[in-house]
Amino acid sequence: MIDPAYSPQEARGIWVFLEHDAGVLAPVSLELLAKARELATESGAELAGLLVGGDLSALEATTARLDLDRVVSVAHPLLTQFTAEAYAHAVDQVIRQQKPDIFLLGATAYGRDLAGRLAVMLRTGLTADCTDLALEAATGLLLGEVSGFGGGVLATIRCEQHRPQMATVRPGVFPEPAAVDRAAATIDRPAVDVPAAKCPVKVVARHRKTGVDISRAERLVVAGAGARGEMPSIEALAQALGAEIGATRVAVDEGWAERERQIGQTGVIARPKLALVWGASGASQFTCGIDQAEMVVAVNQDPEAAIFESADICIVDEVAPVVKALVAELKSRGGVE
Amino acid sequence: MTRELHTLVCLKVVPKSEEVGVDRETNTLDRANARSEINPPDMNALEAALALKDRFGGRVSLMSMGPPFVIPTLRVGLAMGADHAYLLSDRAFGGADTLATSLTLARAIEKLGDVDLVLCGEESSDGATAQVPPGIATWMDVPQATYAMDVDFEPGQRHLVVTREVRDGEEVLDVPLPAVVSVKVSCNEPRFMDAARFALLDSEASVTTWTADDLGVDPEHLGLAGSPTSVAGLKEAAQASGRRREMVSGTPEEEGRILYDRIVEFLRGAGARGQEAPG
Amino acid sequence: MTTPVREVLLLDDDRWDRVLLATKGEAAACYQCGTCTATCPWGLVAGASIGVRSVMRRAQLGIDGWAEAVWRCTTCGACEQQCPHQVPISDVMLGLRSLAWEERGVPHGLSSVLWDMHWDGNPWGRPPSARSAWAAGLDIPRFDATKHAVLLYVGCTASYDRRGQKIARAVVSVLRSAGISFGTLGDEEPCCGDPARSLGNEAYFDRIAQANTKKLAVENATEVVAVSPHCYDTFTRYPGAGQAFNVRHYSQLLRDLVAEGKVSFAGVEPSTVTFHDPCYLARHHDETEAPRTIMAAIPGVSLAEMERSREETLCCGGGGGRMWMETLPEDRFATARAREAAGTGASYLVTTCPHCISCLEDGASVAGARDLKVMDLAELAVLAGIGDTAPTEASQ
Repeated sequence: MIDPAYSPQEARGIWVFLEHDAGVLAPVSLELLAKARELATESGAELAGLLVGGDLSALEATTARLDLDRVVSVAHPLLTQFTAEAYAHAVDQVIRQQKPDIFLLGATAYGRDLAGRLAVMLRTGLTADCTDLALEAATGLLLGEVSGFGGGVLATIRCEQHRPQMATVRPGVFPEPAAVDRAAATIDRPAVDVPAAKCPVKVVARHRKTGVDISRAERLVVAGAGARGEMPSIEALAQALGAEIGATRVAVDEGWAERERQIGQTGVIARPKLALVWGASGASQFTCGIDQAEMVVAVNQDPEAAIFESADICIVDEVAPVVKALVAELKSRGGVE
Repeated sequence: MTRELHTLVCLKVVPKSEEVGVDRETNTLDRANARSEINPPDMNALEAALALKDRFGGRVSLMSMGPPFVIPTLRVGLAMGADHAYLLSDRAFGGADTLATSLTLARAIEKLGDVDLVLCGEESSDGATAQVPPGIATWMDVPQATYAMDVDFEPGQRHLVVTREVRDGEEVLDVPLPAVVSVKVSCNEPRFMDAARFALLDSEASVTTWTADDLGVDPEHLGLAGSPTSVAGLKEAAQASGRRREMVSGTPEEEGRILYDRIVEFLRGAGARGQEAPG
Repeated sequence: MTTPVREVLLLDDDRWDRVLLATKGEAAACYQCGTCTATCPWGLVAGASIGVRSVMRRAQLGIDGWAEAVWRCTTCGACEQQCPHQVPISDVMLGLRSLAWEERGVPHGLSSVLWDMHWDGNPWGRPPSARSAWAAGLDIPRFDATKHAVLLYVGCTASYDRRGQKIARAVVSVLRSAGISFGTLGDEEPCCGDPARSLGNEAYFDRIAQANTKKLAVENATEVVAVSPHCYDTFTRYPGAGQAFNVRHYSQLLRDLVAEGKVSFAGVEPSTVTFHDPCYLARHHDETEAPRTIMAAIPGVSLAEMERSREETLCCGGGGGRMWMETLPEDRFATARAREAAGTGASYLVTTCPHCISCLEDGASVAGARDLKVMDLAELAVLAGIGDTAPTEASQ
């Protein structure tokens, strides 16, 4: 076995990495905190939120009012902008000092970068992209549920002898917590050493998302020929779901969507988690563009439509009333994160 | 650059995801009938490496950890334009989680001694952890740039300019070499291989196989022994056997309601576990 | 007076050598009459002509500048049929494409088609295990040379495309009704290699042709019947074609059966039918009579020919690998073709190629020709109640 940085016997507490940008905490961090609170209550462990950055004064005040027991705030000028090397160097020091038992991070680019480097520095186990977390009844060990093979296989992973037990969790897996009203939690500010030599990478520029690129969309609402006249509802649905709009070739030809939104062999091969396909016949030149979706919902009034071969949920009906009904449900019962 | 750029691409030969199942009796992976392919993001990594070679010259090596039966698949990478392939093959490597895997690859890369840039796909289609590229970088104590969509190189300077995808958009990084870069799947279109070269490739000459002994790594740090994590349980996910094709019918209002429930359930990740949808 | 600006073209010997090699020097005979450009169906569609004459000239001189034109070519063969010097224009186009592969100047999306062929054995990226799903419930036997007269080669489009699968089932029905003993290679059926050839990747096509020729030899398959004219054409280009094995398009087999009196048809309701000749039968293989002989034997069928029929057929737009490329609506030949078909007063537009069917159905839809039903010849035969020798009741 490879020697752990510290033993399970020395390890205490559940930590959650509180990712932030421009003074705002990442939603996944809040989701994780809520789940971690459940686990901490079950095991009686202390729950701490880890903040890392340049000037954390404003964020400290916000996070101290969240449902956690302690804030560990690690500030250093060279940590103002995230780079994996600098953040890992700083967090490694703090973890070795304080020896948490469990360390959870959101499976964002930054979260995965940081977790990936830390796991090697600490010689510990890291379970990626968990779709659920639990504590093993007999041992109190963290159990991470993950999927592999394109979502076809589910595995439960545990890390027995090494600490901290690390896991990353996808955004949207756990619900956001309800707001709490509480007195501010303790804020610890451990000092860290961050020499310039440990920050080799420079962030030269950052750009927020603009322009149409549906290839990265996690959620897609797709308009086919059968969606004629229903684009306003399609757009409302996409908005309510935080989804991008995609289109079949026919829909693009008709001018209902830009060519950049065309899905399929000569368009975009998308890899969404969720695809809702409205009024598309399902020709193979189209379906190859959504075949990698985890879940496909298809609505078409033709019961023979090929799209039903490629869908998890099939509705044989006209597009118009069904899309309107779904939009109405989303309005009345609340949108999804 | 005073010497030519040597790029090393980590390639994993994986079973085609849709053809892998779980043996319901033993609850272990059943990949007996699954065809092999090069992990799709690794094809993008190889294309990125070959594009750099087109522009700046130098060499592209492939490295893969796996059993000897992956060699024919590695020839595909050579036929695309890579110069040599290294196969890390030893029973001792088996059962490795990402910590042991990234250590094995890192030590093999260091053994080559002159690698400037390690290119990987962002994650593999089987495990999908995305942890190996940062793992390799950390074992080698070099910087990393993950989820790259574009990798540019300044000839004459030992650094890369990498555009990568982050949570709310993208950022541009200046990364000194040597470094490890992982690329987003579909960030480019992998060039088709030279079919004539593929037919003529002599594996003996183009593929070097290394065992655990060749790497000189403590056996306690390899394979199952070197893996802090273990699999406690395995099962087939609900939608594994093709598409569910669940018919939903009723009035449009009923259909809308059921769709809402299914969508919320799915987004909570509960689809496979059959948990009740909130709200 | 201003000095006219002249463009100076420097001829590069190395470039000329590469182009000559790639095109096998076949553009040499071109004497620039321009008949090809005038014949090319691209001239019919809104504002886009591919300047075939110019491409031939550039190929002769080894000057670049053909890229767009070369990829638009559907290899329909209309130009080379009219060429006074018999320049094999399609082959020159494919030769220039092969150069583009070598130089990595291929349009986006085409490498992926070839990768699909390599990893999945078909250009649609569908799993091999689903290749014979179209035949579920039909109990089609695995080809066995000791039992079967014919190896039915289904092809990737008829196997995987929903519309194409209906054609495959109709062909099976036709063969069974005619009493032909046949089998297929099931999930083991390899791609014939046409997309590789049509997209210009000569090296990959050569490998496939060699491997498939071996496969046919191992199977002892000497009589191959193809559902698609493209597969049929491709098999004729394999080493061993015409010697180790014979290949026909299914319409040719059916024509023989009709001519020999071995099958007949119950008939259809009196209908006006027009026939769209696939380029890969009519021009590339001079086959225009087989479908007409068959239709003439169907009671109730009244054939109304389009002006552009037989060797003068108007390409549907699907050849030359175009099925894997994007064609803007205003550039689709099939729209004009569907209008032409509707103009004959026909209620059925019959053809005998899966790509043509796909393009023409799209064309009929775009042209708003709602009363025009696009149908494969095999589907018409089934509708007409094909049976062996004696007329039977209309069958499924």
